[in-house]
Amino acid sequence: MFPKPDKPGEDMNAMPCGDASGVLPSCAPLAVPYVPFQQMGSQKYDHGEALENGTLFPGLNLPFKLKAKAANIPMTPLTELQALEFVLVELGLYLDTHQDDAQAMELYRQYAALEKEGRARYESLYGPVTQTATAQSKTWAWLKDPWPWNYQEGGDK
Amino acid sequence: MFVYEKKLQYPVRIQNPDPKLASVIISQYGGPDGELGASLRYLSQRFAMPYPELKALLTDIGTEELGHLEMVGAVVHQLTRNLKVSDIEGTPFAAYFVDHTAGVYPQFASGYPWSASTMQSTGDVIADLTEDLAAEQKARLTYDNILRLAKDDPDVTDVIRFLREREIVHFQRFGEAIELAKQRMDQKNIYFTNPAFDK
Repeated sequence: MFPKPDKPGEDMNAMPCGDASGVLPSCAPLAVPYVPFQQMGSQKYDHGEALENGTLFPGLNLPFKLKAKAANIPMTPLTELQALEFVLVELGLYLDTHQDDAQAMELYRQYAALEKEGRARYESLYGPVTQTATAQSKTWAWLKDPWPWNYQEGGDK
Repeated sequence: MFVYEKKLQYPVRIQNPDPKLASVIISQYGGPDGELGASLRYLSQRFAMPYPELKALLTDIGTEELGHLEMVGAVVHQLTRNLKVSDIEGTPFAAYFVDHTAGVYPQFASGYPWSASTMQSTGDVIADLTEDLAAEQKARLTYDNILRLAKDDPDVTDVIRFLREREIVHFQRFGEAIELAKQRMDQKNIYFTNPAFDK
């Protein structure tokens, strides 16, 4: 349902463990917490599936039994923009702890370009997302309802 | 600084108001393990952090949590819209209503107002990050319990599932952050100094 960006080839050699596992030091100092490090080249959803699952990474998708299935989010200019921005948030956190992952950095660049287009498309249809973007409007469209928390009859744009 | 984006991180559109459910979901707005405490915890802890990965991660997760605070507020707002007194009388929402009408107020599900005593900013790298791991688990289990009570309205449970999954991803990143911090600390004994204070 969402167009996919070009993904860089994923280097499986970078992954000594399965996709849902991470790496730990073989000999580790005592009395400190350990969470396995997520491996470079982990599998990724496309941006629509990522938003629906709450993560870009299938290996980190660990739902509760009462709500195991992902959401089914209808595609609108708003959800498309939310999905693209979500990938940037998720990859941004990943890169904070994996700054040497060049493939993830390249994917971030690709999604940032898509997000820029998606934002321009959304704003041309529905008005500014940020106050400064209101400079593109003829009038002070920043005030325009609905605000994000308002219930929308007939669905979100 | 912060700049507002006039949209939610994830769509919230709840067709059927349910004030009883709102009276438990409010705990993830201002409860002991809610999003307000999460955002303030991380955005406060970051000032003492000595390493760039930790400054960035606490800033970025703290910022995302502010977006989650807004989503939970939107859920509570939509669950309590267009109410009549007869929808409220005799329900667990009545106690909230008498104090706040249909306003969104940061409190525990039990009614206790949000308290900074639910969080810490210790100025110690390992203690803060270990608290953050626990905080993500406590938020995760609160969402589990909300799913137990929300039953089967997907307008609500889709949003809760998303927020719950974010706790798991944040747990992973904080765990990696501890590892990155340890690599920069005394390799024989990471407790030998606190790099946030002992320069």
